Amino acid sequence: MGTPAAALDELACLEAMRRGDPACLGGFFAAWGDKLYRLALRLTGDPVAAEDVVQEAFLKLMAGAERIEGRARLATWLYRVAYNASIDRLREQKRLQPVPAEDDDAAVPMPETLVEFRLSPEAMARDAETRAALDEAIAAMTPSLRAVFLLRDVEGLSTAEAAEALGITENNLKVRLHRARLALRERLSAHVAGRGAGEGRA
Amino acid sequence: MTCGELVRCLSDYIDDALEPERRAAVEEHLAACDKCHIVLDSTRCTILLSRAAASPSLARERREALLRRLEQACRRSS
Repeated sequence: MGTPAAALDELACLEAMRRGDPACLGGFFAAWGDKLYRLALRLTGDPVAAEDVVQEAFLKLMAGAERIEGRARLATWLYRVAYNASIDRLREQKRLQPVPAEDDDAAVPMPETLVEFRLSPEAMARDAETRAALDEAIAAMTPSLRAVFLLRDVEGLSTAEAAEALGITENNLKVRLHRARLALRERLSAHVAGRGAGEGRA
Repeated sequence: MTCGELVRCLSDYIDDALEPERRAAVEEHLAACDKCHIVLDSTRCTILLSRAAASPSLARERREALLRRLEQACRRSS
C-alpha cells in the first residue's frame, strides 16, 4: 500500500497533528475522510452518524499516544476505529439488537439465479436502478459481512489487513467474504434477471 | 470437481489464493460447465460494480465544517 514517500509523509503528518500542529490536517483528511465516511455510511445507513464516526476516528487518532508503524498499520487502525464506532452507533439506534453473531461454519447456499450480466460493471454502475439494487443488497447483509466486503472488495485492503482491522482471524475473514460475495451476486442476479424480463415485456 | 466444490472455492479462485493443483481443477471444470462460468462471471462483475459505484461522499459544506472542528481540536490538544 502506497510508496515509502507517502508512508513517511502521513506518519510525519500524524506526529505533527499530535503535537498540535494542524497544518497538514487538510491533506490527511483529504486522504482518509471520504474512505472512512463511505464505510461508516454503508455500515450505519445514516449520514449524520457517519459524519460523527469520521470525527471520532480523527479525534482518537490525534489524541492517541501509541505509535503507528507504517501506512498499512495506519489504515487498519483507522478502519478499526471507524468500524467499532459505526457498530456503537447502530447499537445506540437499537438497530442492532443484539449484535448478530456470524455462524462461520454454516453452509454457504448454492447460487440460484443464473443470468449473464451482459453489461460491463462500469455501465451497470452508471445505471441508477442497478446502483439502488446494489445499495439494497449491501444493506441487507449483517454489519459484519458488510464490513468484510467493503474493506476487502471496495476499499481494497488485503486479507491480513482487513482481518486485523475487524479483529477476526484471516480464516473467518475469508469465510465471510465468500458468503458476502455470493449473497450480493444472488441479489444482483435477481435484479438483472428481473430487468431482462421487464425489457422482454416492453 | 463438482459444481458444489467449485462454488466453495470460488472466492479463493477469484483472489488467486488456490494451490496450483486445485486451481487447475477449477479451470478444467469451468471450461466444461456453463453454469459455473456464469456464477464466476457474475460474482466478478458484482465485485467490480461495487468498486465502480462509489457511495456518496460528505457534502462540501459539511466536510469543511468538520475539518474546522478537527483543526480546533488539534490546536487545543497541544
